[in-house]
Amino acid sequence: MKKVFLKSFVAVAAITVAGLGASTAFADAKVTLTYQVDANWIKDGERQLAKKFEEQTGIAIDFQIVPADQYFNVLKTKLNTGEATDLFGGQSGVTDLTLNYNVEKNAVDLSNEPWAKQEDPIVAAQSTVKGKLYGLTYWDTLGYVWVVNYNKATFKKFGLEPPKTYAEFKALCQKLKDGGVQPLYEPVSDGWHHVLWFPELGPRYEQATPGLADKLNTNKEKFADDKTMLTDLTELKEMFDLGFFGKNALSDTFADRTKAMSDGKIAMFMAQSAFPQDLHKDYPNISPDDWGVFVMPLADNQLLNINPAGPTHFIYSGSKHVAEAKQYLDFLTKPENLQTYLDSEPQFFTLPFPGVKTKFSPELQAFMDAHKDARGVVYQTQINYVNAQWMDIGKDVTAMFTGTESPADVLTNVDKRRSDFAQAAKDPNWK
Amino acid sequence: MGWDPVLKFGSTMKFRSRYPISFAAPALVLYGVFFILPSLGGIIYAFTDWSSYSDEVNFVGLKNFVKIFTPGEHYLGYFSNTFLFTIITIIIKTVVGLALALLLNEGVKKFVNLYRVMIYVPVVLPMLVVGLMFRSILNPATGLFNTFLRAIGLDVIAMSWLVDPHIALYSIMFVDSWKGVGYIMVILLAGLQTIPKDYYEAAKVDGANGWWRFWFITLPLLMPALSIVTVLNMLYGLRIFDIIYATTNGGPGYATEVLQTGIFKAFSQGQYGLGTALSSILFVILLIAGYGVIRLLEPKPVQQ
Repeated sequence: MKKVFLKSFVAVAAITVAGLGASTAFADAKVTLTYQVDANWIKDGERQLAKKFEEQTGIAIDFQIVPADQYFNVLKTKLNTGEATDLFGGQSGVTDLTLNYNVEKNAVDLSNEPWAKQEDPIVAAQSTVKGKLYGLTYWDTLGYVWVVNYNKATFKKFGLEPPKTYAEFKALCQKLKDGGVQPLYEPVSDGWHHVLWFPELGPRYEQATPGLADKLNTNKEKFADDKTMLTDLTELKEMFDLGFFGKNALSDTFADRTKAMSDGKIAMFMAQSAFPQDLHKDYPNISPDDWGVFVMPLADNQLLNINPAGPTHFIYSGSKHVAEAKQYLDFLTKPENLQTYLDSEPQFFTLPFPGVKTKFSPELQAFMDAHKDARGVVYQTQINYVNAQWMDIGKDVTAMFTGTESPADVLTNVDKRRSDFAQAAKDPNWK
Repeated sequence: MGWDPVLKFGSTMKFRSRYPISFAAPALVLYGVFFILPSLGGIIYAFTDWSSYSDEVNFVGLKNFVKIFTPGEHYLGYFSNTFLFTIITIIIKTVVGLALALLLNEGVKKFVNLYRVMIYVPVVLPMLVVGLMFRSILNPATGLFNTFLRAIGLDVIAMSWLVDPHIALYSIMFVDSWKGVGYIMVILLAGLQTIPKDYYEAAKVDGANGWWRFWFITLPLLMPALSIVTVLNMLYGLRIFDIIYATTNGGPGYATEVLQTGIFKAFSQGQYGLGTALSSILFVILLIAGYGVIRLLEPKPVQQ
């Protein structure tokens, strides 16, 4: 009896050990990379590529999708407790990289990856801290620009051409208004859209005062002292006062944009370059070809405003599978995979890598080509502590519209809040 | 004389004697650990630069409070808006609530319960729903209210209700009063129903008219209910947040910002020290105002 018991014990033990061994061997063969990402940043195209990647390499990607409103809380908690996923999504932009993600501590240096040199430098710069590249921006950050979209038929009817200066823009708006057409749709009530007229013109401020961004970031210059910014806001206020945004700008909403622009009663809308496509989707009888674009001409701006920051992949420095994660990023940036990704995403025009076949309309392509050397980075991305106070700037600009603040007050308030943020972040330049 | 339980009980145990403190100790400890201590801890954070941007928390003295009370900042406006909102909504809700209560107590004879329910309905609607509803109703271009005004030829008073900085706060007060008046009416109605009818009959016999009866009978006897209503309205008004968040979110500009929206924004921007300083000030205001009003309205001992 004793012998039988012993034999069966040995048998069970042997099976258990064999089983454990097999499962360890299995785990070695198949790596699963965990990837935490904001629900808005993960596109179907990348899921398909991840499946293809798994088929080719046996490395699976486990997407851990977090709703947008909770994303940063969850990510920051995980980074702070050392439990982050192998890959994590984040928004590029130098301020965000250091303030929100502390990439120097939390992310792996990707400067020597094969794709690093290929990425558009203006985009890569937004994931770079002290000369090291930390992220792969897998998003259309170049084709999506905020420009003034105009109704070609209305412009033709009034004999108008896209303006080159503010004076031309103002005259054009006045002509439209006198002719019974509301010049622009401006949804102020959402609190964020009307802000775009100000920091998006970063390239113009930089052009007027070369080196301004550096001086602002090192606290050697203040917003309140910059004349071009003051001009921009003063002109914006003038447009509001002259009624170019219509009577109901303060209660107009971004959600109503296509409805507002559908009947030709309003001539222009400052929106992303894909706005005509949006309009076409809601109102199929309107063709995207009926719309043209020009850059925001406040402060006589003629430069294209690029916001190269966008959803970006980072590899967690504490990951046990850094090599596999690098392999995944390399896979995503293979030319054929870039093209598959771009083609699968209706909202994208291009990707920040050379050689992809873009999806711009001929007219938009011509516009982008024309501004190829006349472009710059918007100030909410280039200047520290601006993006974080976007909605506050919105309040100030609204107060400026309603007359309780002056354009100079708006700039002073931006400086005050920057100083608050910088001191909270113990920024050495603000000591 | 038989056995009287009350007398017996009263004679064996002194009613006015105090229980030993040990009876209350468990409750006091729990209350202290989970309520008093965290609250005081919160106030201590008001004197620091605690924020989401740095792991360090440093003592900065009164810096947060100085910032709040600096005229160039917007916070002083938050205070005046909060006080204005509180005072005006107390007046509107109490006056209208009392008028409705009087009407439904005596004036209206038919369908009384139907009216009571109708006036109470807004109270049970969620504030966010009411806010979104009125955003749509008060939209200057497409809103129901202005469309109605225009239809009856009153274009002149069809205004930008929620987006004109001069009237936005008053529009919100109106919306808030519309929602809250039913609640106040119910409390006052209950108060009115406790007043014995004999007083009114006796006064009538003595020749008192309606106004005198209201002034010398209804009002004094309704004082306890009115004081509750005032305290409730005041504490509610000082802590107002949701209706403002749902209708204007403090806008246009800073025209309708109040203390609670300021606190919410400070916290959501990660400026925890500043947010705590603001909420500590609100706490002190609530404490003083609540205590003051209760003392003011509590029945005074009748002088012989």
